[in-house]
Amino acid sequence: MRSLSIFVNEWKHFTRSPFKIIALFLFTVASIYGLHNGADLFEKQKNEIERLNQETEAEIKNTLSYYDTGKKGPDEKPWVDNNEPFWAIYNAPTYQFKTPSPTIVYAIGQTEQYGFYKRINTWSNPYDADMTQEISNPERIQSGNLDFSFAVLFLLPLLLLVLLYNIKGLEAERGFLPLVIVQAGSKNWWILSRTAFYAILLLLVLFGLMLYGATLTDVFETKNNFWKIFLWVTISLLFWLVIYFLILYYGNNTVSNTLQMIGVWLLLALIIPATIQQWIAIEKPTNLMVDLIDVKREKTSEIYEQSKELIDAQLFKLYPDLKETKTFRDTTIVKNDRGYSTDALVNIEMKNATKGIEADNYAKNKLVETTYWFNPLTYFQNKLNKLTSTHYEDYESYRNEIQKSVDNRLETMVFDIWNNVEVDKLRYLEYNAIFSNDK
Amino acid sequence: MFQIIKNEWRFLVRSRLLIAISIAFVSILLLSIFLGNYQTQKQEQTYQKATEHLRQQWVSIDAMNPHSAAHYGTYVFKPANLLSNLDEGVNSVTGNVLRLEGHVQNEIVHSEASQMQAVSRFGKLKSALLLQYIVPLLLIFLAFNTISSEKQSGRLKLLVLQGAKPLEIILSKTLSVWLYGVLLLIFVVVVYGILNFQNLTAEILTRTGLFFLSYALYYFIISGLTVFLSARWQNATLALTSMLGIWILWTIFLPNILMSSAEKWYPLPSRNEFQSAMTEDRSKGMDGHNPSDERGIALEEKVLKEYGVDSLSQLPINFDGMRMQADEEYGNSVWDKHYGSNRNILHQQKKSFQLGGIINPFIALQNTSMGFMASDNLHHQEFLLQVENYRRVFIKMLNDKQTFGGAKTGNWGWKEDNAFFKSVPDFEHRPTQISVVLSNYIMDVSLLILWSIVVIALIFFGTKKIKIV
Repeated sequence: MRSLSIFVNEWKHFTRSPFKIIALFLFTVASIYGLHNGADLFEKQKNEIERLNQETEAEIKNTLSYYDTGKKGPDEKPWVDNNEPFWAIYNAPTYQFKTPSPTIVYAIGQTEQYGFYKRINTWSNPYDADMTQEISNPERIQSGNLDFSFAVLFLLPLLLLVLLYNIKGLEAERGFLPLVIVQAGSKNWWILSRTAFYAILLLLVLFGLMLYGATLTDVFETKNNFWKIFLWVTISLLFWLVIYFLILYYGNNTVSNTLQMIGVWLLLALIIPATIQQWIAIEKPTNLMVDLIDVKREKTSEIYEQSKELIDAQLFKLYPDLKETKTFRDTTIVKNDRGYSTDALVNIEMKNATKGIEADNYAKNKLVETTYWFNPLTYFQNKLNKLTSTHYEDYESYRNEIQKSVDNRLETMVFDIWNNVEVDKLRYLEYNAIFSNDK
Repeated sequence: MFQIIKNEWRFLVRSRLLIAISIAFVSILLLSIFLGNYQTQKQEQTYQKATEHLRQQWVSIDAMNPHSAAHYGTYVFKPANLLSNLDEGVNSVTGNVLRLEGHVQNEIVHSEASQMQAVSRFGKLKSALLLQYIVPLLLIFLAFNTISSEKQSGRLKLLVLQGAKPLEIILSKTLSVWLYGVLLLIFVVVVYGILNFQNLTAEILTRTGLFFLSYALYYFIISGLTVFLSARWQNATLALTSMLGIWILWTIFLPNILMSSAEKWYPLPSRNEFQSAMTEDRSKGMDGHNPSDERGIALEEKVLKEYGVDSLSQLPINFDGMRMQADEEYGNSVWDKHYGSNRNILHQQKKSFQLGGIINPFIALQNTSMGFMASDNLHHQEFLLQVENYRRVFIKMLNDKQTFGGAKTGNWGWKEDNAFFKSVPDFEHRPTQISVVLSNYIMDVSLLILWSIVVIALIFFGTKKIKIV
C-alpha cells in the first residue's frame, strides 16, 4: 500500500515536470528513429540481395542460351568456351551473402564496416577489395549510428539521470525530508520505491519500443532473440539503476548527485572505452595486410614459375584423388590442365596469409574482452551486436563461408578439368546448384 | 571588470575540489596527448615499413612487360597524420590500403574499425574527445551557480552597491569561467607543440591556431549561456539541469540525428548500383584487351592513317599500348563522372549537416575540429583524389612505354628492363593546404561567431531586468 501511494505521488510529480516529460519524449523519438534506421538498413540489404539474385538468374539464363544454341560463348569473346569446366564455372555466377537478421532493427552494430555480398570466383578471397563496406559518408559512420542500441546504452542512462537526479536531494534542500520519511516509514524504501517507479515506467517504454521495432521487421521469426535482447536491455537498465540508486542513497544534495551521475556516465560511456581503444591501437596497430599483398604478387608469381613436377606434387598433396583422374593417365593434356589448377595452390597460400590476419584480429578482440569487467558498455554493446548478428564474429563467420565457397568451387573445377569433363547444359545447372548459397 | 575576474579566480583557486578536478583532468589530457603521439609514431613506423617493402618489390622487377606491370600494380597506404593526434576524425573508419592497377579504380580497404569488435562509440582517447565533451561540462559546473549563489549570499547586492553594474558582473563571470577553458586549451596546444617541436611548420601552426579559435569560441558560448541561465533562474539547480539538457541535446542527441538525416536526404548509391552504372558506361567505351572491339578498330584505322601505313605490323609503335591508354582515358572519364557525382552528394550531405550549426554550435565545432586537424571526409577525399591522379600518371607511363618503348604490336612477350621500373616514381602524399580548403569551414566558423554574438546579446538584453536578490 505504501509503495502504491509512493507510486501515485511519483506519477503526479512526473506528470507535473515538463523537463522530465520532454526528456522521455526525446528519448522515445530517438529510439523510434533508431529503430527505423535499423529497419531501413534491413530493407536496403534485403532489396540489394534480391536484386543481385535477379541479376544472377539473368546471367545463368544467358549462359544457358549458349548451350541451347550450340554456341561456346559470346561472339565478341571467341576465347570463352562454356564447354570447358574453367569457363563454365567462371560463368556460373555465385554470390555469398551475409543475410541481415530481422533483429538488426535493434542494433546495427558493425554492419556498416563490412560488405554483405561477395561474388565468388576461383581466385576470390575474403579480404578482397570488393569486401569493403557500402558507399557511405565516413563522417556519419565515425559519429556512430543512431540505432536502438545507441539509445539504450548511451541515451537511456542520461534519461535516467534526468528522471532521478532530484530524488531525495530536492526534499533535503527544502527541509521536508524528515516529514517524507515519517510518512513513508523508511527512507530506503521510499528511495527504492521512487526509483522502482521509473524502472517500471522505462521498462514499459522500452518493451513498447521493442514491440514497435518488431513490427518493422520479422523479429519474432528469429529464435527467442526478441526476449534475449529485451533481457539484456533490462540488465543494462538495472545496471544504471543500481549505480544511480547508490548515488542517491548516499548523497544529500541535488547538484552533487547530478555531478556524480554525469561523472559516472562520462567515465563508463566515454573515457574508459576511448582509453581502451587507444591502448589497443598502440598495442596492435592497424594491419596493412602486407602479407596478403605479398601472396597476391610475389607468391603467386613463384607458384606459376614452379616446375611442373613441383606443381603436380603440390596438387596431389592437396587433392590425392587427382591421381585417379583421366588426365593423370594422359600426359599429353596434363600441361593445360595444370595451368588452370594452379589457382588452387594460390588459394592455399592466400588462406595461410588470411589466417595470420584473423589471428591478429583475434588477439585484438581478446584484449578487448579482458577489459569487459571494468568496461561494461562495450560488453553490453557487443552482447547486443551478437544477438542481432552484427558482431565482428558474425562477419568472421561470413568470411569463413566465403572461403569454403571458394574451396568448393576450386575443388569442383580442378576435378572436372582433370576428369576431362565436357560441360553440357545439365552439368552447368549442376554447377549452379553446387555453388548456390541457398543450399 | 578586471577586478571581478581577479576575485573570481582567487575564489576558484581556493576551491580544493576544483584544484583536484583540474589536476585529474589535466592528467587525462596529458595522457591523451602522449598516447596520441605515441600511436601516430607507431602507425608511421608501420606505414614506412609497408611502403618501403612494396617499393622494394617494385624496383626489384627484373624484366616485365609494362602492361603486365600495370596489372601487377602497386599499393598506397594512407599515411599517419601528425595533426590527427589531436582529432582523429574519420581516420579509424576509412580504409588504409588502396591497390592501384590498370583498367580499374579500386576502393580503399581495411579500416581499423573492421579489424576488431566494437569498443568505443566516441572514438579513441584523443584530446578532441576531452575538449569537445568534457571541458564544456566542466565549464557548466563552474558557471551554473556563479550568479545564483551571489544572489543567495547577498554578495550581488553588495557588488552593485559598490558600483559594479549587473552586466559588468555577468560578463566578468562569463570571462573568468571561459578563461578556465581557454587555459586548458592552451595547455593542450602547448604540450602538443613541445612534443612535436621538430615537425612544426607554418601549416601546422595555422591549423592549430584555427583549431584553438573554434574551441575558444565554443567555450565562450557554453560559459556565457550557463552564466546567463544562472542569472535568469532563481534556482541554481534549474540552471544546472537546463544546461545539462542543452549539453545532452547538443553533443549526444542532435549530431547523430542530423548526420543520419543528411544521409537520407541526399542518398548515396549502393556499391552495386555504382559499379553497375560504371560498368555500363565503360562498356560504351573501348575494351583495351579486345582487338576486335569496334571502337578499338576505329582507333586503329585513325592511327594507321596518321602514320600513313596499311597494317599494324608496319607501325613503328606498339598499337596495343595505345589502345590500352585510350581505354584507360575513357575509363578515367567514366570514373570522374560517377565518383564526381558521389563527391557532390557527400558535399551536399556535409552542407546540410553544417547548417545544423544554426541550432547546434557543437556541430560547427566538430566540423572545424576535424577539418582543421585534416582528418575529416573532405581531407580523406582529397587524399583519394591525389592517389587517383598518381594512378593515372603511373599507368600512362607503363602504357606509353608499351607503345613507344620499341616493341611491335602483338608482341606481348616483350619486356622492359629494371632501369625503367626504377624510374617510375613512387606515390608521394602532399598534405592538403589549409588555404585550399579553408572556404569549406567558413560557415562553421561564422556560425560559432554568430552564436557568440547571440550569447553576448542574451547577456546584454536578457539580464537588464534580473533581480539582484
